[in-house]
Amino acid sequence: MPRVRIRSCLAAWPVLLGALALQPVFTTGPRFYADDPLEREPESRDASGVKPWNIGLMYELAVNLAVNERREPSNTRAQNINTIDEVPDSSWFTNRIGRMRVQAENLARGPNTGRPPAPEKWVIVREKSAGAQPGFTARDANGDTWFVSFDENERPQADTAAVVVASKIFWALGYNQVQTFLTTFDPSRAEFDPKATIRRPSGKRTPWQRRDLDAVLKSVARNPDGTYRAVAGRLISGEILGGFRYEGTRPDDPNDIVPHQHRRELRALRVFGAWTNLTDMKGGNTVDALVSENGRSIVKHYLQDVGSTFGTANGPRDWDIGWEHFYQRNTTKRRLLSFGFALSPWQTVPYSEYPSVGRFEGDRFDPREWKPQTPTLAHVEMRADDAFWAARRVMAFSDDLIRAAVHTGEYSDAAAEAHLATVIGKRRDAIGRTYLPAVNPIVEPRLTAAGALSFQNAAVDARFAEAPATYLAAWSLFDNATGVAKPIGETKSATPSMQGPANLPRAEGAYIEVDLSAHSDAYPSWREPIRTYFRRTAGGWTLVGLTRLPDQPGDTPASAARGQK
Amino acid sequence: MSPARAITLAVLSLAAWPVSAAAQAPLPAQAPEPSTRAGQVEQAQAAKVTHPYQPGQVERLLDLIESTFIPGSGPHPFFRSAYSGGGFTLGAGYNQYVSLYNTLDTRGSYTFKGYKRIESEFTAPGLFNGRGTFSALGGWREATQVGFYGIGTANTSNEARVNYSFTQPYASAQLDVRPTGGWWIVAGGLEVSQWNTGPGEGSVPSIDTVYTPQSLPGLGAEPVYYHTHATIGLDSRLAPDYARRGGFYGVTFHDYSHPDDVFGFNQMTYEAIQHIPILRETWVVSLRARVETAMQKDGQAIPYFMLPSLGGGSSLRGFSSWRFRDRNSLLLQVDWRAMVNRYIDIALLYDAGKVTEHSGDLSLDGLKSDFGVGLRLHGPTTTPVRIDIMKGNEGFHIVFSSSAAF
Repeated sequence: MPRVRIRSCLAAWPVLLGALALQPVFTTGPRFYADDPLEREPESRDASGVKPWNIGLMYELAVNLAVNERREPSNTRAQNINTIDEVPDSSWFTNRIGRMRVQAENLARGPNTGRPPAPEKWVIVREKSAGAQPGFTARDANGDTWFVSFDENERPQADTAAVVVASKIFWALGYNQVQTFLTTFDPSRAEFDPKATIRRPSGKRTPWQRRDLDAVLKSVARNPDGTYRAVAGRLISGEILGGFRYEGTRPDDPNDIVPHQHRRELRALRVFGAWTNLTDMKGGNTVDALVSENGRSIVKHYLQDVGSTFGTANGPRDWDIGWEHFYQRNTTKRRLLSFGFALSPWQTVPYSEYPSVGRFEGDRFDPREWKPQTPTLAHVEMRADDAFWAARRVMAFSDDLIRAAVHTGEYSDAAAEAHLATVIGKRRDAIGRTYLPAVNPIVEPRLTAAGALSFQNAAVDARFAEAPATYLAAWSLFDNATGVAKPIGETKSATPSMQGPANLPRAEGAYIEVDLSAHSDAYPSWREPIRTYFRRTAGGWTLVGLTRLPDQPGDTPASAARGQK
Repeated sequence: MSPARAITLAVLSLAAWPVSAAAQAPLPAQAPEPSTRAGQVEQAQAAKVTHPYQPGQVERLLDLIESTFIPGSGPHPFFRSAYSGGGFTLGAGYNQYVSLYNTLDTRGSYTFKGYKRIESEFTAPGLFNGRGTFSALGGWREATQVGFYGIGTANTSNEARVNYSFTQPYASAQLDVRPTGGWWIVAGGLEVSQWNTGPGEGSVPSIDTVYTPQSLPGLGAEPVYYHTHATIGLDSRLAPDYARRGGFYGVTFHDYSHPDDVFGFNQMTYEAIQHIPILRETWVVSLRARVETAMQKDGQAIPYFMLPSLGGGSSLRGFSSWRFRDRNSLLLQVDWRAMVNRYIDIALLYDAGKVTEHSGDLSLDGLKSDFGVGLRLHGPTTTPVRIDIMKGNEGFHIVFSSSAAF
């Protein structure tokens, strides 16, 4: 029986207009356009009117801990995904690992497209403007400007290595990263720009003095030869606008139409953050910059400070970071009533501690239980399909790639380097084991011109689940203009490939709808089909649509695609 | 969801992103249907009505607090009572930088019992390459109903309480130095003050109705003191006002010089504090022992109001402030703290102590003791709120304090 998509009533909900941009669900036009699936999110308007802003730390903490910690997710499907459930490239995100083959040498280079700093001479120009690590802003011998920071005395190499290693990983994951290099700083060759100033506790700016440099270096780890290991982050080009918020849109940026909590790449930071233990995900650790691209000013969004990764956010007297928010109602109540005897995992988890790595472990790690310091709304809004998307990218990091990324930290302790790589690998596997089998894991559906359907099972391929007994495919003809689907048959197979019905249309421009499910006693959720759409082209069938999970609680992917419950 | 929680959520949520809906205005009705997905996106971007970000009221308020109440600049609350036993205290101050690093903090407080304090303190931190701090303090305070229960431990009672009052102008200077940059500390200072004692107010008799200057040295006196003191010790705590590990071991010598050579005396204070973390600081056992001995100078007397004492919010917490006075005191305290979260500790508390006429009597016999429970709101280095509910053999006492007990 033909099924009709309901599509009129939702047009009155203006808040969802952002969703109109990239999702097919609520459109008033055809289900699919000729340019679907979008590979790049358009940024069509000139954003030169954007003004810098400041995100108050206290306000963000209050909102995250007092509001977001209590919020229930809305179960809203990510709104910046294209019609095949993927995140298009944008000023936020560039598909790299998982989309293209990332070689170890690519990963080792990461975001570093420019020349490294020339440490023969440093000219200090002002203090650091962001980050907790001691440092300053300086020009190298080439005249390039860098944010230079150091390791704390108690844990040499830890902070500098974490920034470098994490910047490679987050670059490969797709985020805009600051170009970051390990370098050296020789105080005997340091100079001070005549205009260099530093903000004093009184708020007044006065010229930099040698004692200011001494004060910075007093608490940082020194090399035996009197130099200092440092990490240098290149000055981001463009006008710095402040950080981005994990909620709402930037009201003065015309291209920013998807609420940030509904951007999949920001939701996915819950998975990527858990993997790398990036616990300090506040807006202050991000940067928006007004840049010129294709003759137009747009806002480019950076995940600027990824240094609170691995075990480095835990200070000498911290064990709970990564395990609990700064404030959490349930554990607060438990400990209050039990006088502390209701123990949390972080109080007993064993660590193999290396000073250059910190408290970072992979044996008790459960990504569902991981906690950043404060939960953003994007963190709250992550759904199972977002986590699945993220987990596939995490799983795309082979052991060799992980080792290549860790090696860029230039650890002098080989055991520490090996330990870090091992733990990252363990946490990667925990993420895959948790999130890949949690939803129908069918991926990469392909349909040949002859009607041969093939696909992959991400959970089975990663060996986190047994193969299902049967794969089922329900085939329908699909009218792209009206949204009417007409069933034409069902096929099944014990393997991830099967022949489609004989009566598949052959006319160019025809559409078919295929619901793909798997029957596994161990994973009942796999019976919930993913809905796919193929368009007939001259070369065969092209995937143009994929819905893995419904838009609202109680919906199925099928009903979501049609607007039906 | 409770009503209070619902209201809190609603207020904070509404205030959080007041402009997001406006930023996503619907498309104009006459807009033609785009023929591509990219066109759809571009049309939505064209329809967005941009405007500068306008923070909501809650955000503006918190930003104001963040910029105003951060340590070291602008106004700040001030909860230090003029004198122990003054009751709940309210106050405020204004901290101002007078040079790049040095501050002048002017502050005042008022207690529910009418105790008053107003003072200014100049602080120069970061001396000697960051190893020393100099401070100079000048002010005036008044306490109107300070308790006096007699001299000694066993031979005094709550019922014998009388009150006295005093006003005191004071000026002092102090230098604290960590000479090695590590645990060693040395400190020294000079204070000049005048104790203008007088009859007490309140519901109990005034001290002058029970005692005479002959029976109680110092009664009605208004001595001026030149108080010099020096401390040497080891301090491995992160901060004195909140610590979960480390300790303090120190000796302080005081010389109270009275220009008229009537009320001069010396005093030694021996103090040991150790915080013992258990299971990653889930619990902390905090131990404190303090001995104070006052030694009269030749031919001079120690006024009753300058004698070592026990009782009050940081010593014998289950007893009234200044409950026990004599020339020597012994105080032993144990706190067993449990971490509730990063900002809250709860604690089981036990104190014991006594005062004696002779230092040789400072034994563990005849100690007065109390026990109780406590709640602390704290930061990494400070304890701005401490509430202890204590029970001694003279009843319950509730302590409100803006600092750690030890």
